[in-house]
Amino acid sequence: MKKKNTLLFIILIFLLLVSAFLGLLFGSVDIPASDTLKVLTGRLREGTSYILIATVRLPRVLGCIGAGVGLATAGVILQNVMNNSLASPNTIGVNSSAGLAVMLSMVFFPEAVGARPVFAFAGALITSLLIFALAWGSGASRTTVILAGITVSSFFSAGINLIKILDDDIALNINTFMIGSVAGVSMKDIRLPLIIILLVFLTACLFSGHLNVLALGDDIAGSLGMNVNAVRFFLLTLSSLLAGAVISYTGLLSFVGLIVPHICRRLFGSDNRILIPASGLLGASYVLLCDLLGRLIAAPYELPAGIIMSFIGGPFFLFLLLKRKGGRRVAA
Amino acid sequence: MNAAIRFENVTVRVGRTEILKDLSVSFPKGRISVLLGPNGCGKTTLLQCLNGMSEIAGGHVFLGETDLSSLSGNERAKRIAFLPQVRSIIPAIPVQTLVEHGRFPYLGFSRRMGEEDRKAVRDAMKAVGISDLKERYVDTLSGGVRQKVFIAMVLAQGCETLVLDEPTTFLDPAAQREIMQLLCSLKAQGKTVITVLHDLDRAADIADYIVVMTKERKTAAAGDAAAVLKSGAIESAFDVQRAEVNAGGRLRQIFY
Repeated sequence: MKKKNTLLFIILIFLLLVSAFLGLLFGSVDIPASDTLKVLTGRLREGTSYILIATVRLPRVLGCIGAGVGLATAGVILQNVMNNSLASPNTIGVNSSAGLAVMLSMVFFPEAVGARPVFAFAGALITSLLIFALAWGSGASRTTVILAGITVSSFFSAGINLIKILDDDIALNINTFMIGSVAGVSMKDIRLPLIIILLVFLTACLFSGHLNVLALGDDIAGSLGMNVNAVRFFLLTLSSLLAGAVISYTGLLSFVGLIVPHICRRLFGSDNRILIPASGLLGASYVLLCDLLGRLIAAPYELPAGIIMSFIGGPFFLFLLLKRKGGRRVAA
Repeated sequence: MNAAIRFENVTVRVGRTEILKDLSVSFPKGRISVLLGPNGCGKTTLLQCLNGMSEIAGGHVFLGETDLSSLSGNERAKRIAFLPQVRSIIPAIPVQTLVEHGRFPYLGFSRRMGEEDRKAVRDAMKAVGISDLKERYVDTLSGGVRQKVFIAMVLAQGCETLVLDEPTTFLDPAAQREIMQLLCSLKAQGKTVITVLHDLDRAADIADYIVVMTKERKTAAAGDAAAVLKSGAIESAFDVQRAEVNAGGRLRQIFY
């Protein structure tokens, strides 16, 4: 089993490296692979290729990696904390509430790029707690929780659209924001979010053992001495930080937090000590490849990565819904 | 009686509803105590005072001479191992990994296990006879074996007192018998076992001490099994009759 896992991890790392390299290589302007390698190794520090890679494609690739790691990890955490295999930042409405918060920050603090992740985090945390309170307070079924998430999501999406209609000066392409895209991100946009994602991802890895025990259910976790409420609140804070940080620069990217943890659970089982790093790696590759596909599929035009993700994620979500039929086994 | 656990005038509320009021009962050390009562009589609520899931609104629970409320979650989990009733979550993790969760209260922030922890896990798996299955995934096992794995997990906690809430529910008769034998072997090792059972015949078979609760959420009887069996408390709590039959070379209690 360990050998199989090691091999799978090597494949995931290789996939990430290849995806990242392809992400640097392809775009509206052809850059030879040799130039890309030279820029990466520091042997080329001037010219069009260097400027394009350093200021456009590298931030975009890093943005994709951050988005994939952040949303996939947030998905793993939410599925465990809520004990619901259908939970993810977009299915429980965390994405859209963080998105609305980002819009509000653009209205009130248009110049403060650094305020966006903070607002997004606050929006994500409020909705996480709201949905969690609904799930536990009312004893709602797992499917009801998802339905509530979809309702909350529609509500906040309406808020996002309303703000854009009322304040047309906001420097934002509303369509791209609602679908989610990493096109046009700069180092300035992603610096703070990436630091947050990296730190929170490492913290989530440290707490993966706690997540494993919590996944056994409140009663067993409590019996083993865990302060269940405190740990759950802490983990929801982590997932909100991750989702908020990502959404602050990508908009409402969908389904990463749902698809990636599921695939990884199939490959590695549900031990979060393995699942979190594996989901981080696969999530990064997944967003990179979706972004790449969006760039290539209708070249010279670009499709936002979010469209590709929704085309893949929609049917996948439906498949999970039909497969479960209200069953309770999966995300432990 | 040398009590392992003593409830003194315990009141438990859930929201505004009083589930248990002023309840006092003790469970003896080193014996198998069986808590009996019809559905909804508060058995689980009472036991959940021992794992922090029931909030005690009044009274005290003593573990030996220690007030349970003075212990932290970890300290409590080192002294009382608690296996809740039917689990809706079946983790897709190897057997050994699940049993290792029993060491949760002992591990530091790094969650790394030491030799003592590994030995406790090995011993627990050996005690319930699942050492050969350590690499199998829990979700691929039958209900009876899975239950043994969970029992191994609570054994790995290394506690003197084990509380098992309905450990045989949904198991076939052979698996139920195995779990009962396991409880007896734990008693033989000096452990205190407190369990809820719905099978009155089996309860009469293995109990050293019986507590009977009624629909009114009061204790109708508590004492040595032989005395409680003869008191008529079980018959009136469950609206059943009792008969003594000679089976398997000894006198057994049958409820019908």
